[in-house]
Amino acid sequence: MKRSTAASTGSDGRSRASDQSLAIIQIRNCLLVSIQTELHDRLALDLQEALMERVRTAGARGVILDVSAVEVIDSYITRILNDIGKSVRFMGAECYIVGIRPAVAMTLIEMGVELDSVHTALNLDLALERLELLQ
Amino acid sequence: MRTVEDAVGSVLSGAISAITQRSIFNRLGGLARTPVGQLGPVERQTVLKELEGSLRLFARGSSAELLAACDRVLSESTAPAAGGSQRGGGGTVGTAGIAGTGVIAAKGINKTFAVEQEKDIATARLEAWSEAVRIGLSKFTAVKVATAVSELARNIVFYAGKGTVELRAHEDERGPSLHIVATDRGPGIEPRKLEEIWGGTYKSQRGMGKGLLAVKKLVTDFHMDTVPGKGTTVTCVFRGER
Repeated sequence: MKRSTAASTGSDGRSRASDQSLAIIQIRNCLLVSIQTELHDRLALDLQEALMERVRTAGARGVILDVSAVEVIDSYITRILNDIGKSVRFMGAECYIVGIRPAVAMTLIEMGVELDSVHTALNLDLALERLELLQ
Repeated sequence: MRTVEDAVGSVLSGAISAITQRSIFNRLGGLARTPVGQLGPVERQTVLKELEGSLRLFARGSSAELLAACDRVLSESTAPAAGGSQRGGGGTVGTAGIAGTGVIAAKGINKTFAVEQEKDIATARLEAWSEAVRIGLSKFTAVKVATAVSELARNIVFYAGKGTVELRAHEDERGPSLHIVATDRGPGIEPRKLEEIWGGTYKSQRGMGKGLLAVKKLVTDFHMDTVPGKGTTVTCVFRGER
């Protein structure tokens, strides 16, 4: 019981810390961020800065943002994702958004909102595979 | 002390996403932070009723199982009926917390939410989503409803500071529909800016500047009243296909 509480959004310190910053995980020369929390201005900017810094220090070729836990993507979140994609591209790396849900994709199409500064892939595996091919 | 959030969280973690869990706990308000031991029978029912609605939406196939598991963890140390009057501070907080969410019942009931902070955007979005599913709109339409409410609530927080989002469920011979009314007494929108917004050329500092246009494209009916210096009201309707 204790173990699963720590993984939940309970009132323990670990999950509260994740409210302020998102973990960046390195897999070979790619950086992975799983978005599990509500993105807002401060958090998005921090993430963007941290990613650019990590791309530089790690010499990363790609950045992968997993949004499979995100149930709604509106125009504001789209702008954040595009901005991250642009800044990563300026650094010479490529940004992949993975795990967009079908209903979310349909909604974005109907809204006429473009995710044009990032690549998309069905899942993490496929994004890693494509980034590998860039070698 | 183990709170409702801890107990329910231990059951739900892994089954539904962290974001969804947080939204559910936001909806429970003070009840989520009430220790399980101090939960009276009435509050327990309220918690379970909320969970039932949310789990039907988000856990799909396994919702009945999860609800039963939540029921169990909440019963483990729930105060007996007689203990209801002896509840301490936690119970009082809980009662205040449910005042706003207790009005979820039959069709035709309006729900209004104050929108002021960023967390209110998430709450309004989830409420809109569950309301859309409750009245029988499709899963995809429910996501559209949630997205539109997200855009409108964001506009209120970003540009007006505070306002309200109202949800009204309707049912007629054409099927169910959900009316969304977003109102604020903010700065309103200047005619020239409005032209740019509908033309798709407007760029905002903080977002894309395409929120209103996006909402207009998503909904069945759209109407906006805006008076510079007075405020803005956006009314839109989502209709289910039958």
